[in-house]
Amino acid sequence: MECFSLLRSDVPALINHLGDFGEVIAPHGKGDVSYSFEVVKDNSEVVLDYNRTLLPLKKMFLPPVEKLMDFSLKEVTYEKVDVAITPRVFFAVHSYEMQSILRLDHSMLSGSAESNYFKRRQSSRFVGISFKPDEFHFSDSVGIAIEDMEGFDLFLNEVDGDFQLYVITDHGQTLIDGFDRKELTTPEIVDGREFKKKIRYHYNRLPRVFQYAYHSDVWADVASQCVGCGACNLTCPTCFCFDVQDEVTVTAEDGMRQRNWDSCMLSTFAEVAGGENFREKTVNRTRHRLYRKFKYITDEEGLPWCVGCGRCTAFCPAGISLPDIVNELIQEDEKAQYHRTVRV
Amino acid sequence: MKRLEDVKHHETEDLYYPTMCKVTGAKQITEMEKWYEIEMPNGQTLGHNPGQFVEVSAFGIGEAPISISSSPSKGSKFELCIRQVGTLTNVLKNYEAGDMIGIRGPFGKGFPMEKLFGKDILVVAGGIGLVPLRSLINYVLDNRKDFGRLIILYGAKTPSELLFRDELEEWKNRDDVELHVTVDQADETWEGNTGVITTLIPSLDLKLNTTIAAITGPPIMYKFVVMSLKSKQLPDDQIYLSLERRMKCGVGKCGHCQINGVYCCQDGPVFNYVDIKPLEEAL
Amino acid sequence: MKPQVAFFDFTSCEGCQLNKLNFENDLLDILKHVDLVEFREAMDDKADHYDIAFIEGSITSPSCVERIHDIRRRSDVLVALGSCAVNGGVNAMKNMHPIDEVRETVYGEDKYLFATLPAMAVSSVVKVDYEVRGCPMTQQDFLKLLIALVLGKQPPKYGSPVCVECKLKENECLYNRGMVCLGPITRGGCDAICPSFGQFCTGCRGILDDPNIDGMLEVMTSHGISLDEAKKRMQLYNSNEVQL
Repeated sequence: MECFSLLRSDVPALINHLGDFGEVIAPHGKGDVSYSFEVVKDNSEVVLDYNRTLLPLKKMFLPPVEKLMDFSLKEVTYEKVDVAITPRVFFAVHSYEMQSILRLDHSMLSGSAESNYFKRRQSSRFVGISFKPDEFHFSDSVGIAIEDMEGFDLFLNEVDGDFQLYVITDHGQTLIDGFDRKELTTPEIVDGREFKKKIRYHYNRLPRVFQYAYHSDVWADVASQCVGCGACNLTCPTCFCFDVQDEVTVTAEDGMRQRNWDSCMLSTFAEVAGGENFREKTVNRTRHRLYRKFKYITDEEGLPWCVGCGRCTAFCPAGISLPDIVNELIQEDEKAQYHRTVRV
Repeated sequence: MKRLEDVKHHETEDLYYPTMCKVTGAKQITEMEKWYEIEMPNGQTLGHNPGQFVEVSAFGIGEAPISISSSPSKGSKFELCIRQVGTLTNVLKNYEAGDMIGIRGPFGKGFPMEKLFGKDILVVAGGIGLVPLRSLINYVLDNRKDFGRLIILYGAKTPSELLFRDELEEWKNRDDVELHVTVDQADETWEGNTGVITTLIPSLDLKLNTTIAAITGPPIMYKFVVMSLKSKQLPDDQIYLSLERRMKCGVGKCGHCQINGVYCCQDGPVFNYVDIKPLEEAL
Repeated sequence: MKPQVAFFDFTSCEGCQLNKLNFENDLLDILKHVDLVEFREAMDDKADHYDIAFIEGSITSPSCVERIHDIRRRSDVLVALGSCAVNGGVNAMKNMHPIDEVRETVYGEDKYLFATLPAMAVSSVVKVDYEVRGCPMTQQDFLKLLIALVLGKQPPKYGSPVCVECKLKENECLYNRGMVCLGPITRGGCDAICPSFGQFCTGCRGILDDPNIDGMLEVMTSHGISLDEAKKRMQLYNSNEVQL
């Protein structure tokens, strides 16, 4: 793997250079204290030091609201919406975000492979960046290091304010062809950054904890705090559930079918036309959310379906913390094990 | 884990576009249920298994999962029977022969017919549960010599809610079908059994090693029917159930139909009892 | 034949009705679908029968009760428009005080001249078929209902909180800006218009079914307002729905 030195002051030039490949999408400031991935119009607005964006990068591949078709009520016909394949470079992406895209690939492309997702995902390039974990990040606890370069084409590793620029793939090589590179002056190896351990067990042990946690009292505790707003799912980078709706224009002659992100934490999520609700209580829904992250897909794929971005915790108005829930389950499990041992 | 580079462009699908089909017959069969016959375009056949479903779509209203009610042996046309309980189904009641309707599917796993050949088939249908099971029943009748006994238990709330009355009459008169019908509440015209569907089970004389049960009905029914069959000593793996969930996309993506870790639209809607027994959210 | 529709107002600011007159471009399209037979703000006409009656305002006096029964008798479909009609709205704040005290405050010594009742949702007096929520109701929402009725489909029922639409628009959460917002338990369908412009949600579209009220009070108080203030905010539009 090649590695070069990149001064912070040269980053705008790099962004310009990447623009030759296609649209560059990077973190921008949003509101008072937040960030968002946006198309770069002015490269001085790109933020390199950010904690996390409000919505995950998923929004660029599985848009929050997406038109699926236009239809005519009069003719009873429809027209497909053509998803254009545009070259895009995603710049200054954190490792957990990249890992969430790799997980989304699995969710959207295994079984029936969805063409809309595939088209958007094709010809995408990713430039990673290291980050300083804040109180909500716990990606390290789910097996994703800050410098995890899987999935990236290029990676910027910050050292003393400037960067080491790693070229990871052939795509990455092509991306920086012609860019004025400087030989590496800083040492290539960087020590692991300060990452406070947030989940007490190694993630390998979590499926076992969840195996016995189904009837835990922890779920009711969480449900008593949860106000059911759905923010945890809607900001989650690995959640992919959606709903489909038809919108009709005021002439009542034509309209469109669109899909939008949905959340299994919302009370109507599992309700059927006849009125039966198969996950009626908040306690069942809080459990389902975590089982989707640590058990159901994990059992099959061997990886937690949570990437530790901390969004669900940082954006929960009730301050419900996912690592805290997991730790409480671990604690309960230890108690139960102790009792099992004593009984023997 | 499936990776982007494992997928070729031609392997991806436009998953959400319906095929426009023509309604060739429509009949209100009870106060709440309407029957439709639908023809695929260009002589295509739906190619379904008994127990599978389609997503029916009406523009401006949306899509809903609907069980296929006809046997695959019926050829290029297929039948649906729709209860008017939701936004879409309430609009569909206005559809008549000649109207166009959007269809996606068939989706999911139906009854594993290869495992049913040569067996005695015990059909347990509660209310609108007869709709998907009618597909199975007619398939068995169309291939009568490939199966053993055909026992049909059918329960409805009231006599006026009984579906497919002509066919019930026909099944009753065949000597190769054992039909038992019951209603929860009888009226003055009713001369048959009264009581919930499980009351029909204890008196059945089943050959335990060759009987396969196929159950569909309202959510509350399954537990009790399974309990009754178990008390007849019918082995768990000879029980199949078709479950209802909110199967919005039909292709295992949208998440609405999940039963614990299982997608009802992909792994179901027909399940072997052994496979759903460990799932807390199933029954 | 086009459905005959009429609009009636009860105790309200009439803002919802005025809002309809602002349709401008869409107004002609709407009139393709329906015949207006009664609409005090726009015309003067009376009819014996209405296919759809739209009701604005809450029921606050014995004469209101009589009048709404009369309208209901003459209407096939009855729709409550705006928060006053749907659940009593801000008018219902008076229900938290003894009715005599309220009469005295408003009418002083003439209080005996004016019969009054607690402010009620239209649905607590007659059967309401559909509702358009909000204070005021939005044109968008009204149009959706109208189109649905024209198409014979069930008008949208909003079972998700304001937060959902707010998140899909990638708004910064107002709690992160130090505000206390009712978005998590308020019925959506408004496209999160207030939070999108930096104004916290005041709950004008009503509280969700089966809300976690205690949890929400905890959220509000932990973000710096007193329990008393939190309750008041929750009840601003929803005194009839939230009993604290």
